[in-house]
Amino acid sequence: MHSSEAAPTVSTTEAEQVLTPSFESHSQLPTICLTGAPNAGKTALMNALTGGSFHTANYPGVTVTLSRGKSKSEFGSQLLLVDLPGVHSTSAVSPEEELSCSVIEGRHDSVQPEALIVAVDATQLERHLRFASFVARQHKPMVIALTMMDLLPRAQQSVNVRKLENAVGVPVVPVDGRTGWGAADLMRALHLELKDAAPRHTSLAVLPDEPVSAYKTIRELLSASGALKNNNQFLLARDSFTARIDRVVLDRYFGFPIFFAILVGLFSSIFWVARPFMDLISWLFSQTGHLLLAVLPAGAFSRFLAEGVVGGVGAVAVFFPQIIILFFLMTLLEDSGYLSRGAALVDRPLAYLGLHGRSFVPMLSGFACAIPAVLAARTIPSKRERLLTIWILPLMSCSARLPVYALLLGALLPGAAWKAGIALGVIYVSSLLIGALVAGLISRLILRKRTASLLAMEMPVYRKPLVKPTLRITWTRSSAYLKRAGTPIIVISSCLWLLSNFGLGSRQPASTEGTRAPLVAASDLDHSFAAGLGQTLEPVLHPMGVDWRVGVGLISAFAAREVFVSTMAIVFHVSESADGQQSGLLDNMRTATFSGTSKRIFTTSSIIGLIVFFFFSLQCLSTVSVVRSETGSWKMAGLQLLFYTGLGYILSSGVVTGLRFLGVA
Amino acid sequence: MSLLDALQNECYQVEDVAGPADERRRLLDLGVTPGEQLAVVQSVPFGDPLVVMIRGMRLALRKREASWISVR
Repeated sequence: MHSSEAAPTVSTTEAEQVLTPSFESHSQLPTICLTGAPNAGKTALMNALTGGSFHTANYPGVTVTLSRGKSKSEFGSQLLLVDLPGVHSTSAVSPEEELSCSVIEGRHDSVQPEALIVAVDATQLERHLRFASFVARQHKPMVIALTMMDLLPRAQQSVNVRKLENAVGVPVVPVDGRTGWGAADLMRALHLELKDAAPRHTSLAVLPDEPVSAYKTIRELLSASGALKNNNQFLLARDSFTARIDRVVLDRYFGFPIFFAILVGLFSSIFWVARPFMDLISWLFSQTGHLLLAVLPAGAFSRFLAEGVVGGVGAVAVFFPQIIILFFLMTLLEDSGYLSRGAALVDRPLAYLGLHGRSFVPMLSGFACAIPAVLAARTIPSKRERLLTIWILPLMSCSARLPVYALLLGALLPGAAWKAGIALGVIYVSSLLIGALVAGLISRLILRKRTASLLAMEMPVYRKPLVKPTLRITWTRSSAYLKRAGTPIIVISSCLWLLSNFGLGSRQPASTEGTRAPLVAASDLDHSFAAGLGQTLEPVLHPMGVDWRVGVGLISAFAAREVFVSTMAIVFHVSESADGQQSGLLDNMRTATFSGTSKRIFTTSSIIGLIVFFFFSLQCLSTVSVVRSETGSWKMAGLQLLFYTGLGYILSSGVVTGLRFLGVA
Repeated sequence: MSLLDALQNECYQVEDVAGPADERRRLLDLGVTPGEQLAVVQSVPFGDPLVVMIRGMRLALRKREASWISVR
């Protein structure tokens, strides 16, 4: 590491804190790390070697977590393979690169490789061999996996593998991770290197660290040995398949329309294609809840299971179809190579706001869910841009807010679905615009000092994504999301269930043993801890024009935004029928009044106030926990929660007061 | 001359790479080194970033980054 020259964007300790996964199991197997520059075909190779489900992507630096897996047993004695994030530059900039460098240099606490596999793109030998020389300097057993051999004819190049091996002094094995070709040979070479423990003298290891002379030496090495013929990179540039596609998708006039068409397509699939699956899942979970209540002996425990636990799991699972579709389409875009073009297209407008071209991927994901969005921000190299991106992600209208808006707009604009549709469109577009405004204001007013920021982004060649790996990756990422988001949501919703069903001096649900407890025990709610909390908060809620019951909904919505809807159903005594919950709820909300008066709770102004609150306030506590783990401290996560929730409260109160002043009820 | 003034699809040679130390180092690491041939192969709407081909790689560079690279 060139610590003196390294960009001081992220300190080592922080990067490790953020990115160190737990490596508790598999510890008995020898660890082999897979490294390489981004787009070297490393992750496809990982798939081939482990036969497992790993992420493979064509977007620079997309391996967001370390994936690991055991090598397939047909490749000899088993090894633990760990896929390290791609490294462009060893004067590390992004936290991912820093992580990879620390593992390769043996500075990492939990990942200590015994040998390394370096993926080297045959069409970009010079750059990739320079990275291989950084690995070779560590004097650990290593093997070069030569990838992208199938692209050599496109570049009118030819590589002589034997001569290359002699020139670099390290075993070189041509492979194709996508088909598995060469994987067995690679593993054989690796096992031989592991047995032969004597450190090798390689010409790679003696290459200087300084880039200019290192590149010069590599070129001399390649031409003197005859390993590389016809190094004609410009042919690839002008007339290739990739150049033809780029001319269209980066066209001055068509570039943006194509980009927006792709985004619209992506969004419509997230919302329309996922809809029937989401309905099916929520029906399944509500049926499971009913079944549990019917089968288990009546009592607090069965209600806790049916409503708290099954309801909580259902609240997460209902978004699963959207997440799967989002990840599937994103993976297709990444693997095809388009995603980095999209990032290049929007870099200029985003850079103007203090963000980065790569911020667009997290922002896009933010419209589905903030959790994968925060994770996706890892690929942004500069710390300032990464944190600013994470900062505005809660404003992106996540899909958990959709049922809330649907309910509130249904109450605000009864019987006019098209008006509600337009209002929803306005909400979505405004969330993007306000996000842009907040980013621009913060970067101009608060973070005025410009720090190191570099686009310098590789745009990989276009390749046809393969169906099976894409599906595997989609599944890996989606299930990781389910685990990540699901745990806190289930815990929080269980706690909230307990809070809203138990209280001091309440009629304990347990005392109804033997008799059938009603599904919605509203009378208990009136005396519960949650009600107590809501009633304590009532003076605070007054400016928003709502009562404590809505307050309970607002508090429970911190488990997940859509929980607001089910809480409203509980507090406004809606008996659950198979499909009429929403309309029953709307009727009850329309007639609900402040207790002891005939004053309506849900008026035009208070509903608009609630929409404003949900628009700004931070969506859920799971987001807070992910931001904490990604930024390595509670500071930003807590500040974000306070800032957005405070902003939502102030603006909502302001809007309600303003509207009432203007004579809107 | 500056890379910003380079004609599209013409081949140039990198003369010098300037810029702040960290950013300069990263460009050098990426293979943008003096003496190397490069060509601007694609313009993007707004003309920023521009796409150059160097060492067999397409690299999107912001105008700010391209301005540090002098070519002939």
